[in-house]
Amino acid sequence: MEDLKIGVYVCNCGTNIAHVIDAESVKNYAATLPGVKIARSYRYMCSNPGQEMIVEDIRSQGLNRVVVAACSPRMHERTFRNACRTAGLNPYLCEMANIREQCSWVHNDSVAATEKAMALTRAAVLRVACQEPLEGLTAEMCPTTLVLGGGIAGLTAALELADGGFPVVIVERADRLGGNLTRVDLTAPHFDSARDLVRERIAHVRGNPNVTVMLRSELRSLSGFVGNFTAEIATNGGKPTKVRVGNVVVATGYKEFDASRVTHFGYGKLPNVITSFDFERMLRAGRIETKDGRLPQYAAIIHCVGSRSEEFHAYCSRVCCMTALKYANEIKSAIPTCYVSDLYIDMHAFGKGCEDFYKRSSEAKTLFLMYGKGDHPVIRRAASTDDCDMLIEVEEKLSGEHIEIPADLVILMVGMEARADAADVAHVVNISQDKSGWFIESHPKLDPVATTTDGVYIAGTCAAPKDIPDTVAQARAAAARILAKIAKGKIEIDGVFAEVNEEQCSGCRMCNELCPYSAIEFDADKKRSHVIPAACKACGACVAACPSAAIKGRHFTDAQIFAQIEGVLL
Amino acid sequence: MSYEPKLVGFLCNWCSYTGADLAGTSRIQYPPNIRIIRVMCSARIDPSFILQSLGKGADGVLICGCHPGDCHYSEGNYKAMRRYPLLKRLLDAYGIEHERVRLEWVSASEGQRFADVVADMTERLRALGPCRVKTALATDQIER
Ligand code: FES
Repeated sequence: MEDLKIGVYVCNCGTNIAHVIDAESVKNYAATLPGVKIARSYRYMCSNPGQEMIVEDIRSQGLNRVVVAACSPRMHERTFRNACRTAGLNPYLCEMANIREQCSWVHNDSVAATEKAMALTRAAVLRVACQEPLEGLTAEMCPTTLVLGGGIAGLTAALELADGGFPVVIVERADRLGGNLTRVDLTAPHFDSARDLVRERIAHVRGNPNVTVMLRSELRSLSGFVGNFTAEIATNGGKPTKVRVGNVVVATGYKEFDASRVTHFGYGKLPNVITSFDFERMLRAGRIETKDGRLPQYAAIIHCVGSRSEEFHAYCSRVCCMTALKYANEIKSAIPTCYVSDLYIDMHAFGKGCEDFYKRSSEAKTLFLMYGKGDHPVIRRAASTDDCDMLIEVEEKLSGEHIEIPADLVILMVGMEARADAADVAHVVNISQDKSGWFIESHPKLDPVATTTDGVYIAGTCAAPKDIPDTVAQARAAAARILAKIAKGKIEIDGVFAEVNEEQCSGCRMCNELCPYSAIEFDADKKRSHVIPAACKACGACVAACPSAAIKGRHFTDAQIFAQIEGVLL
Repeated sequence: MSYEPKLVGFLCNWCSYTGADLAGTSRIQYPPNIRIIRVMCSARIDPSFILQSLGKGADGVLICGCHPGDCHYSEGNYKAMRRYPLLKRLLDAYGIEHERVRLEWVSASEGQRFADVVADMTERLRALGPCRVKTALATDQIER
């Protein structure tokens, strides 16, 4: 190996570091460490002049390692790696010592903080000496995308990809496309026909030669890694066929909350207590009526059935409030003499046009009654002398009164919940679920459609309750992410991954099971395991567990960590 | 002379290291005795890292990962958790008080908790006194 020529740069971060830590002493100390050719301190290492200083030193002094003692690597590791790259030094030969977040900002004893900064800098110097230049890899990107679910999300994602000129396979469990939306009549707040929305999508999908639709089908297994997955898809429970795909969009949707789980509303016992989906069916059939065919004189709508409750789902299902207002409007226009009451906990009217819609609905002579969270209205059968079918009792919060209202038809606004088979889907495509069963995104704000498995995206209500516009936006976002990757043609794989030394591997296969990404394959001929770099996320679980110490975690090798341990314990 | 315990912390990148950074951005003070080493996941923490730390002069080792269910790699922290009791037995066998090694879950939002854990552990190590086995371990090294 060539001689070490390490450059150490101690940042003052204005006064953020220097007000507690004696940066000059840290710099002087660093200059005495083995292999250090140059040590400098500067006001702002991350500034352009700071970075140029590093670039210049690498070029003129022939530095082959760089240590920056500054802020958290989570903040600027990329900045300094880029500076190294600019100067022609492999970016993995750069190491940071976190002397701001984990030193100057948390300790006010100058002497102790300076001593700690020296220790952290020493650890970085010893570590960087063991670091190796790493290169990423590239792999093929198969342009075909697998879309799980043929609802509005799946159809939209599929169309977007197919219109971009790439093959798509839609796998749908049911015997028809359209999903939950085909059960809905009109949408809120603009009263567009849901059926028209879905029909338009389906017609385009059917007409697009790039899309293959597989009905009554399910994904049995998914192996491989981004760009190079093999999907096994079974139709009608038969023998699975293998399809090569590059990416997967999971758009498996939701199921509605089962209202019979709530006992106090009498769903299943009182014939005129129905769910929102029962009511949609009525609307689609064109007649709002009671079980025995009468026009209801009193209709009541109850919000948050199964949602926002301690007992069932703590979350808000997001679409029910506006759907409830839609029902109030539709009942009023179909039966102008009908009294409509709307029993809610809070009216959630977020989103474009929704507050307006709420305002218009309150003017349309709907009686709004607010009940408390944790409380619930109680429905009972009316006496034969009453002019109604049922009576609803509610502790009305705004007036503070106990109110009883008549009802001939009660509509329960059932929330959304994760599908019963969501856990199986999550398992097959290797993504996670939150405590309610929804699929988890890679980052809730900045990366809402990606997952922790590269190449697997989520869109629509399988990730959480949402309305049609948000679902469509997510589907298109997922498609856009995939199109961007397909456009590149190849995938770039980070240089940090695990490697099996086949000489040392005993073929015990322990790591095969351990890997959360199925990134380690066993070669039955050689009786050795090997890592698929593109699938490896570099967690290091296999490295620590290998009984033969045959696996090396690149950039987090034992030698590097031992050097760090030695360094911090100065 | 008063004794200042040396504490080495192995923190996973995604939750705990970020939580420690948050303690910094929130300017939450804690004892300077801890020296943090970043790993990608708590599952990467090999028992030899702990023994090496104690052998090289640490008086205690803190292992931090994401809360169960929150590991960035889904289940790495369960692997760390399973190794921990074994490690404690190993320490007992070496005659090292196993309280010197501690496993804690610290999320990215728990800056305060991280600071509290460090403060608490530093106090405990202070009470335990210097780790006497440094020399024993150092000679009987578990080099790779
Ligand atoms: S990433 Fe934090 S414990 Fe695995």
